[in-house]
Amino acid sequence: MFVRKLAVIAPLLWGVTGFASPTPSPSPSPRASTASAPLPAEQMSQTIKLDEVTIPTPGELFAALREPAKPDWASASRGPMPINYKTRAQIALNLGGLIADGFIAVEAQDTQQVKNIGADIVKMAKGLGVSESILARGNSINQFAESDEWATLQEELEATQNEVKASMQTHRDQDLVILVSLGGWIRGTQVVSSVVAKNYNENLGQILRQPKLLHFIRSKIGQVSPDMQNDPLVKKVDAQLGEIEKIVSTPFGKGLSFDEVKKLNASVTTLIQEIQKKEK
Amino acid sequence: MRRPLALALTILSLLAWVGPARAATDKEVAARAVALELAGAFTNDGFKLRDGHWAGTLAPNESRLIAVNLYAGNDYWFSAGATEEARHLSVEVFDETGAPVPTQSYNSGTKAAAGLSVTNSGEYFIRVRLDEGNRAGVCFVYSYK
Repeated sequence: MFVRKLAVIAPLLWGVTGFASPTPSPSPSPRASTASAPLPAEQMSQTIKLDEVTIPTPGELFAALREPAKPDWASASRGPMPINYKTRAQIALNLGGLIADGFIAVEAQDTQQVKNIGADIVKMAKGLGVSESILARGNSINQFAESDEWATLQEELEATQNEVKASMQTHRDQDLVILVSLGGWIRGTQVVSSVVAKNYNENLGQILRQPKLLHFIRSKIGQVSPDMQNDPLVKKVDAQLGEIEKIVSTPFGKGLSFDEVKKLNASVTTLIQEIQKKEK
Repeated sequence: MRRPLALALTILSLLAWVGPARAATDKEVAARAVALELAGAFTNDGFKLRDGHWAGTLAPNESRLIAVNLYAGNDYWFSAGATEEARHLSVEVFDETGAPVPTQSYNSGTKAAAGLSVTNSGEYFIRVRLDEGNRAGVCFVYSYK
């Protein structure tokens, strides 16, 4: 299947490289290839791990479900949620979740919902002092939603998330960056684990196997400032993530069982409730 | 019709910001443009380009391993671009156990890509290597669908 699609892509590659046609040789074209030797363990321990590359977007997670489960994305939407919270950690976690909601609305191709979420992202980002830089993104989200440019919207949502993170880093709010990513992962996993539980088969159970991702996220949380680590919500979330890491840590090649999927869904749903809870 | 404009705006804004820890060098910015040009070819086939990237410099025969987390059921293209000092660049994929993964690959001077359909979710390592040429700026991006 993938090889057949390559036949479509190959001419594009030639176009990119300035070649009008695959001949005369040597012309670049995709070919089957395998790296020569396994990676030595010491090399695997020295890999580059970056938040913006190593952590997948919610859109990437949802894409894996699209064909095998054909989810009813509209039913996965949440109602309007609060946009003001007391602590910056809670705002950051909810902002990540809200961006994941944006990806869900894009999958559902729900124009109004995308626009509402785009507006809420801007408002919530205001609480973190980064609204100036993403006002233009909010406008773009509106425009793309109105013209049904769903593929572009996925890229725009990720770009918005990265712009928020860049602004946090500029304002020395580095600790909040991983919380935004984490909030998105939790909300995305809640939705996907719910769909997988309803349509369970072994292949779908594979999608949720993410031990190294959880380990990476937890290691980043371990690097935030002591103040942030002592935030009651961050403490709760980190403790719960430890349990979740155990659930998703099946051996490579083995997906989660039906029971593990249900357990995962229950855990992330509890986390979402904690994250959304407003103190009285 | 807004898509090319949006892509151009996104590329421009990304070129203006390529990393939190330090400012990007001119070589890294130039390499990023090459990588995005290559990755752009895949967007025409429905692949969505990730906004994040890695950029740095490589000496001849030097490589970097970048960790990514991939989902079973998705197709991916990993693209690398380099500045003109590079003569041959390669991209290889290894799974979580370190085993090499068969890919469709593409190499042409300062550009290289590897594509695959993932059947096992987990961590994968992408090796970007400067096989021939002089020390060059190199950038890695990826696309999925």
